[in-house]
Amino acid sequence: MAEEFVTIEINDQPVQARKGAMLIEVADNNGISIPRFCYHKKLSIAANCRMCLVEMEKSWKPVPACATPVNAGMKFWTRSDKAKNAQKGIMEFLLINHPLDCPICDQGGECELQDVSVGYGSNKSQYAEIKRVVQDKDIGPLIETEMTRCIQCTRCVRFGDEIAGMREMGGVGRGDRLEIGTYIEKSLQSELSGNVIDLCPVGALTAKPSRYKARAWEMVAHDAIAPHDSVGSHLQVHTFRKEVVRAVPRENDAINECWISDRDRFSYQGIASADRITKPMLKRDGHWYEVSWQQALDATAEILRAADPARTGALASATSTVEELYLFQRLMRGLNIRNIDHRVRQTDFSDQSAAPLCPSLGMPIAQLEQQNAVFLIGSNVRQEQPLLNHRIRKAALKGAAVMALNPRAFDFNYDVAQQAVAPADMLQALQAMANDPDNAVMATLKNAEHAAVLLGNVAVQHPDFAALRGLAYTIAEQTGATFGYLAESANTVGAWVAGVVPHRLSAGRELKQAGVPVGEFLSENTRTFVLLNTELADFANPQQAMKALSAAENVIVIAPFADNTTRKYATVLLPSSTFAETSGTFINAAGQWQSFKGATVPPGEARPTWKVLRVLGNTAGVPEFDWVATEEIVAELHLELDGVAVCNNRYAGTVGRDAKSCVSTTADGAFQRIGDVQMYRVDPLVRRAKALQAMIPPAAVQLNPQDAANMGVAAGDTLKVSQGAVTITLPAQLDAGIPAGCAGLQSGIEVSNVLGAAFGALQIAKAG
Amino acid sequence: MSFNWKHYFKTFSLKELMQGMGVTGKYFFERKITIQYPEEKTPISNRFRGHHALRRYPNGEERCIACKLCEAVCPALAITIDLEERPDGTRRTTRYDIDMFKCIYCGFCEEACPVDAIVETNIFEYHFENRGENIQTKDKLLAIGDKHEAEIAKMKAADAPYR
Amino acid sequence: MTEHPITMLKRKSDLLSHHEREDIDSWLARYPADKKQSALLAALRAVMHEDHYLSREKMDAVADYLGLPEIAVYEVASFYSMYEMDAKAAAKYSISVCTNVSCMLCGSDVILDHIEKKLGIKLGESTPDGKFFLKVEEECLAACSSAPMMQVNHVYHTHLTPEKVDEILDGLE
Repeated sequence: MAEEFVTIEINDQPVQARKGAMLIEVADNNGISIPRFCYHKKLSIAANCRMCLVEMEKSWKPVPACATPVNAGMKFWTRSDKAKNAQKGIMEFLLINHPLDCPICDQGGECELQDVSVGYGSNKSQYAEIKRVVQDKDIGPLIETEMTRCIQCTRCVRFGDEIAGMREMGGVGRGDRLEIGTYIEKSLQSELSGNVIDLCPVGALTAKPSRYKARAWEMVAHDAIAPHDSVGSHLQVHTFRKEVVRAVPRENDAINECWISDRDRFSYQGIASADRITKPMLKRDGHWYEVSWQQALDATAEILRAADPARTGALASATSTVEELYLFQRLMRGLNIRNIDHRVRQTDFSDQSAAPLCPSLGMPIAQLEQQNAVFLIGSNVRQEQPLLNHRIRKAALKGAAVMALNPRAFDFNYDVAQQAVAPADMLQALQAMANDPDNAVMATLKNAEHAAVLLGNVAVQHPDFAALRGLAYTIAEQTGATFGYLAESANTVGAWVAGVVPHRLSAGRELKQAGVPVGEFLSENTRTFVLLNTELADFANPQQAMKALSAAENVIVIAPFADNTTRKYATVLLPSSTFAETSGTFINAAGQWQSFKGATVPPGEARPTWKVLRVLGNTAGVPEFDWVATEEIVAELHLELDGVAVCNNRYAGTVGRDAKSCVSTTADGAFQRIGDVQMYRVDPLVRRAKALQAMIPPAAVQLNPQDAANMGVAAGDTLKVSQGAVTITLPAQLDAGIPAGCAGLQSGIEVSNVLGAAFGALQIAKAG
Repeated sequence: MSFNWKHYFKTFSLKELMQGMGVTGKYFFERKITIQYPEEKTPISNRFRGHHALRRYPNGEERCIACKLCEAVCPALAITIDLEERPDGTRRTTRYDIDMFKCIYCGFCEEACPVDAIVETNIFEYHFENRGENIQTKDKLLAIGDKHEAEIAKMKAADAPYR
Repeated sequence: MTEHPITMLKRKSDLLSHHEREDIDSWLARYPADKKQSALLAALRAVMHEDHYLSREKMDAVADYLGLPEIAVYEVASFYSMYEMDAKAAAKYSISVCTNVSCMLCGSDVILDHIEKKLGIKLGESTPDGKFFLKVEEECLAACSSAPMMQVNHVYHTHLTPEKVDEILDGLE
């Protein structure tokens, strides 16, 4: 449908506008300011605040600009006496029940109501009666409410309905008793709920963790990139006296629009965690000693030089920056250490040499919403990459068919044809599809104009990853769909590009002598470990990891945090930085390189990680190790890439059309564990963000109701759960979305730290 | 140049000297305005801007709500405030410091205060004996407020009609 | 949202009685399948008819049955004065005395006083035996021509006098 443009007049100036566009949109595009509260460009139009009243020709009463479509020849005046009077009157009405407690309100200084009131309101009110008071609601650990301040613009209500995809807030009551709230006491569960803080034009909904921390004018804003999922949302980190006090989104329509996930918004709390290491430390005879950087680096270099490269393993987390990862692998390879990896949650490495340069989305993020059919394989995208899910949801609402093959039925906020099969059967299910072109999924993908086959985190962590990938790639190829990965971490793509894999150099260059992947060197045979930002809870199999790390002679930890578990196995602690304290670069799922500067400095003697690595390289005598800025490192990597396309997902592996699953189902009476990672436990930083931790439901084992019935287990019963030699007790939950013979027990959460493989076998028995 | 008789007459008759002596003489016999400070003191305006004080409500609750407007408006950056949520949910300062060396006694803090908590009293006779005493803390400011509340209230009331 | 075909779990809508389900189904039949929310008012009325008030559990049951967000049901239930969301309103007879202008001019205050004294309860309370509930602040019930009036459950009683009220209330089982 071709768009028709018309000429209208605003304030006697001719303006070109799309026919049917709302006046407020046209005015915004032309820099004409119209006050508003309920209108938001990403939300539906409610026209209930009436603040945007303007004068229109041939209309004796003012019209709301947000709900007035323009047509040729229309004339508007936004600042005429009539318009001004209307705006002033509305402002007075809005302030009738507003408490005007700006001095104690966290929104004070950045409040739309304040600004508009100063700009368009009157300096006195005719209202002398008693103002109404609304009881505050407790809507969880993330959002603070002060509902008396609410002006009922309903942005938060519409957000829940239209963006978050789950309506949790609503307007209860009517007339002058209308209250915005949840009616029943409950905390908001949406993974995007924090955005209502930005949407709220007044101080009714504010960030609870930032409550009373600093006034708007005292904070210094620093641009940053979100460090958790592969969206790479644009953030603004606000600091007050060098302390990070909040994170808010920066608008970028190509990536995060104007939203960010709660994980990106509130994870900054982890920065000031009690687990921060502020001094380099060495363990001698089982005791920790604080030492100078020189001593620590000398000791570390000595350990690395003396270590047998074949019996040394180097692991880096993909939440580190490109620069850190690049230096890390240069340092290790400079010392002849070849067992380098970042894929700590992955278990199947059999097709790694056939893998593309990096696992990318295969298209720009914004293009996800143009898809007509999406097939998700092993992905709980709503929790793993909330904003990619938002794009897919947009596509789904436009009519796209979204299909999924998952080890359990994950909760989506749109219609998904989801096939939930046991982890061991996923491969078979996918084979059935790939071998049958008339299959519903194949047909839908084939018939769609734009289709995508996307591999999620669960697929990557699945024991049959190689086979799943091969089949997924074939399906995409056969149906003409785009093949892509919903990359795991903020910098999974960057980790591949920087060469933190055992079989390739940076920029995907060939390696003469390859190392072995983490799954092989994570054993008691390895005598020395180097861990960059990696903790026990990051491993696919914490039992195996703990065994290996405890048995090693030396474990060098370069990280901002060290908890008691880390202190048990580590022998050297080098305090480093979080994302807010270093300059660096993340490469997101779509292959966009996004650099940022540090917002603050690391506490105590902690230093930016790349500097620690660089000086460690010098101390260890690695040649050509003399960068002085992160920009230089990225520039070098760009040179190495030499124009190679980062986002080429071509897969060169063999396709196992009749491969057998490697998921262990042998033991009698054993359950297959479905150990997807809890969304607020994905990396060290978010695990230390207090408010987000409070959002995690109590640990439980989810069972298929039929299995539970067979075992005589009812919901809430205590179960003895054993994996390996460890037995823990957990309450049972019944979930029809769990396939028979499986048990849902998430990874990353505290109890699973003592357990084994995320997709291993579990022995479950009723306790007592 | 013509000969100026007037000039010579003025000069030799000592007219200007006499005029000057007249002024001196007038003030010699007039009532003196010099006061014997510190035994004597001049009256002080209700708007006098002296040492600061933090006030309380009659029920003993401190007025300050830690809105930080005084800190923001202070042109000399003399005020430093830390705050937290008190267990009863109210917003209160944990630190309220005024550096009296930085303060220029402009009275903006008082103007900015939405709850009349920070005020400038008519106390102008004070001194510091040690380093660090120039930092007036919340406790000290509240103590001054408690001591002089009656006077402060009177001054504020007298000035109120002109605001 | 995902719906699981085979489920042995209890659903919130299990709470609805057979009669309520029938009533709701008959209304659902009148609307397109994707416009289930159209039956919400009728569904809540069906629950009101049986329970005389809307418990949270029943509202959640209706939400589940119609596939609506729970908050959407709370919104509607709290909007209309014909729905009661308080357990104490669950009396056998709900009495609403109109106190709007016309009725007030014709002496609704006297009627209300009389009822309060007779039943020994105030507005918004119910009798200890759970027989009567006196609804708070009923707005105009559109019977101004026969003021003063009151509504007992669904029945209008007009041209009231204290004696007539006695007669009506005493006549109720």
